[in-house]
Amino acid sequence: METVEREERDGIITLRDVNKSYKMGENVLHVLKDISLTVKKGEYLAVLGPSGSGKSTLMNIIGCMDVMDSGAYCLDGVEIEKAKEKELTGIRNQKIGFIFQKYHLIGTYNVLQNIVMPLLMRGMTLKEAREASMDTITMLGLAERMEHKPNELSGGQQQRVAIARALVGQPAILLADEPTGALDQESGKEVLKLFDRLNDMGNTIVMITHDLGVARHAGRVVRIVDGKLYENGVTVQPDAAG
Amino acid sequence: MKPNELLRLVWINITQNKFKTVLTSIGIIVGAATIVMVIAIGKGGQADVAEQFKNLNAGAIDISYDGGDRERGGQSAEASPGGGNFSGGEGGFSGGRGRSPDEAGGGVLNGDSFPGGRMDFFGGGSDMEERINQENITLDEDDVDDIETFVSGISAATISYSTRSSVEGGELDEAQTYTIAGVREEYAQMSNLSLAVGEFIAESEDENKDKVCVLGASVAEEIFGSAIDAYGSVIYIDSRSYVVNGVLSSMGTVASGISPDDSIFIPYATGVKYLVGSSVSPTITVIAEDVDNVEQVSKDVAKVLAQTYPNAEFTYEDAGSKMEAASASNEILTMLLIAMAAIVFVVGGIGIMNVLFVSVKERTNEIGILKAIGCSRKNILFEFLLEAAAISLIGGILGVAASLCAAPVVEYLGVRVELSAAAFLIALLFAVITGTIFGFYPAYKASRLVPVEALGAE
Repeated sequence: METVEREERDGIITLRDVNKSYKMGENVLHVLKDISLTVKKGEYLAVLGPSGSGKSTLMNIIGCMDVMDSGAYCLDGVEIEKAKEKELTGIRNQKIGFIFQKYHLIGTYNVLQNIVMPLLMRGMTLKEAREASMDTITMLGLAERMEHKPNELSGGQQQRVAIARALVGQPAILLADEPTGALDQESGKEVLKLFDRLNDMGNTIVMITHDLGVARHAGRVVRIVDGKLYENGVTVQPDAAG
Repeated sequence: MKPNELLRLVWINITQNKFKTVLTSIGIIVGAATIVMVIAIGKGGQADVAEQFKNLNAGAIDISYDGGDRERGGQSAEASPGGGNFSGGEGGFSGGRGRSPDEAGGGVLNGDSFPGGRMDFFGGGSDMEERINQENITLDEDDVDDIETFVSGISAATISYSTRSSVEGGELDEAQTYTIAGVREEYAQMSNLSLAVGEFIAESEDENKDKVCVLGASVAEEIFGSAIDAYGSVIYIDSRSYVVNGVLSSMGTVASGISPDDSIFIPYATGVKYLVGSSVSPTITVIAEDVDNVEQVSKDVAKVLAQTYPNAEFTYEDAGSKMEAASASNEILTMLLIAMAAIVFVVGGIGIMNVLFVSVKERTNEIGILKAIGCSRKNILFEFLLEAAAISLIGGILGVAASLCAAPVVEYLGVRVELSAAAFLIALLFAVITGTIFGFYPAYKASRLVPVEALGAE
């Protein structure tokens, strides 16, 4: 019991007995079944699972984009199940950096505008946000592309823009959903190298993937099958996590 | 998010879809143009009314007689007793009008008081009611004198008539028909006429029945090319020569009665002698000293005329009533146009709402992205609302521009328009309000999208 409490205290993400189901007409689809998971600060975790296993649902719940039916979720000291929509908006803006498979950049904005968007939402001016994000932009090699529109960039470049957008707000965790899924092999490798670097710099990363080769880049891999989480072939229980 | 940054994003979204923005705002463009034109036409109408009445004294009362049938029963106007007023030149009814103020005040209404032949028609008793306005009556200078003598609270009174007659002379290749107004000296002052050159009709010219005339500004220009050329020249009215003694300054249009610019003024008695004869149907104009006293003056004038013409009912028209009637009809037109503009705006607003709904649908993924990176409901609501307002504002500006193009066309079609900055501002205000109201629901729907569902939308 002490171990559990210590792990929950140390964890930046702590899920306990999280359940989520969807109504599909008359049927109820139980997508997440008693999921318990703890992710420590600075950890690089891969959630590996096939399509339909519930990994994206898990990511949405971790990312405060969806609400669980039952269970408890603590993110960086905030009890998410008790948070209201306004608080969740703030948490998404300040504690989470999303990286999506399809990049999800806004086509009408240029690279700079896409990257600084989370900072603008914090109340910064464009000038302030630009100054605050210049290091990240330079690190990701996008300094020459700031005025370009997303459709003028390659897939790899677009994903780097998405990563820059996720990083500029210095979030507590980076949540990546199949970050290499839409990229060619070379670009995928570049992105994974970047993730390694970011983790080395102390960023906490939770990556969802169906690709074992990609998952191997993470320091820790958990599997999700049929809505249940397994680590080393064993269902993850709170006392077994970590 | 800071308002200026929100506006920047709105501006980016609008400028990225210029064609769509213009198409979306078509309803608002039409609405704004309509409202500008409505106000412009309304103001034009008001200006027209004001201009038409500018020469009209607010205390003026026109008295005319519409009864009788000058041709009925073979009794032509010339043969009627009333008509005899003019046939004898300056004599007329003087013999029959030996009334004193006491008589007038004493209600002497029997036929014996009027031996001048007018009472030949009067049967007396109950038959009189049936005979109201059945006789031929011609108002004349003596009636004016009676009114001036017995009615208090009037500053001036005159008599005039107008007829149409052929005119030759000057640069005219052939005879043209013009309005000829028979007036007396005081007419110019009472009608606020001013002369560009020369003199108006003098009392002596009226008494002597001199063949002189004063031309309206337009008439002088048409016949002689200019006022200066006209002055001192000769024109031929009904083949009789008249010397042009003066030319009026341009007076513009008038609501009713004689239009000075398009008329030729001659001495009253001259016209009676040479042009209209006994068929004249003159109007007496009385000016009440106090505008608020117009009604009482009208009643007093009626009493005086009733003594002379007990079986006649005269038509009284005061300038204030004419102005009110003209203003009222103008207001009705304005209200109709405003109703039309309101309908156009509602249709335009619904158009904006539809397009914004489509836009929200199209941009659901973008809304999902914004929500994922922490954009609040309030910011999304404001962004879409600002977009709706901005599209409407652009529509309003284009509408105002369209109205500037439409105004000359409408004026060409004969409708006076008075464009004003206030109209532009009102149109822009209505455009923005309409867009914001109709844009609210789509914006609200956008703000309430569930992030995960919005992000998953293709």
